[in-house]
Amino acid sequence: MEDNNKRVTVREQDDNYTHNIVRLNERSLDRRGFMKTMVGAAGLFAISTLPWGGLAAKQLFAKEENPFPKKKIADVATLAKGEAMEFHYPSEHESALIIRVGENEYKAYQNACTHLKCPVFWGKEEKELLCPCHHGKFDVMTGKPVAGPPRRPLPEITVQVENGVIYATGVKPYEA
Amino acid sequence: MKRSYVGVLLLCLVVLMNIIFTQYAVNFFYAQKYINVILLSLGNVGLFPIAWLIYKKEKNQGGVR
Repeated sequence: MEDNNKRVTVREQDDNYTHNIVRLNERSLDRRGFMKTMVGAAGLFAISTLPWGGLAAKQLFAKEENPFPKKKIADVATLAKGEAMEFHYPSEHESALIIRVGENEYKAYQNACTHLKCPVFWGKEEKELLCPCHHGKFDVMTGKPVAGPPRRPLPEITVQVENGVIYATGVKPYEA
Repeated sequence: MKRSYVGVLLLCLVVLMNIIFTQYAVNFFYAQKYINVILLSLGNVGLFPIAWLIYKKEKNQGGVR
């Protein structure tokens, strides 16, 4: 306590009105310190977006080949009209749903709800795709959300039928 | 002591731009608009020297000297 009240003699060139600051950490975030922090933050942001740019460039240059494999979903005979079946596409960890909506019409979607990734189920009676978590509903023909919290459509999987076998051939890119 | 807050405000603006660029870069990545992602990440990198120049210019502004 005594020290704080002691008068300090300061050389003229150092007399910048801050010599009277004696408390610990009093200048830890002054104007200059704040600016330094902001510059550091700018640097951090710059570095943190670089991987995204790199991944984007990689995707851009590897675009030529079709990244999606052609994969057998099921035989036509096993899927009755109005029925749905779960499968996995493109990887084993992405579950999907195929619905036979007409005699020769199939709709397939990745069935992770676009709200919070709950699995979406096929409501046979309602003819709607239903997410039971928060009662999100999707239109079966377009994949667009019709009720509940989801705002984006389900990613559609393109389907091909050959010799009585249903194949998945790709995932349509999401268009905002 | 008279302070100059121009540098502080400009740097706040730069970091705000950084936040916006980062947010859009990530969103565009998932929307598969890869050219935009690259442009935005380059923009983010370009903002760092700007921030540094602002700091260099402003660190002694408004002092006693």
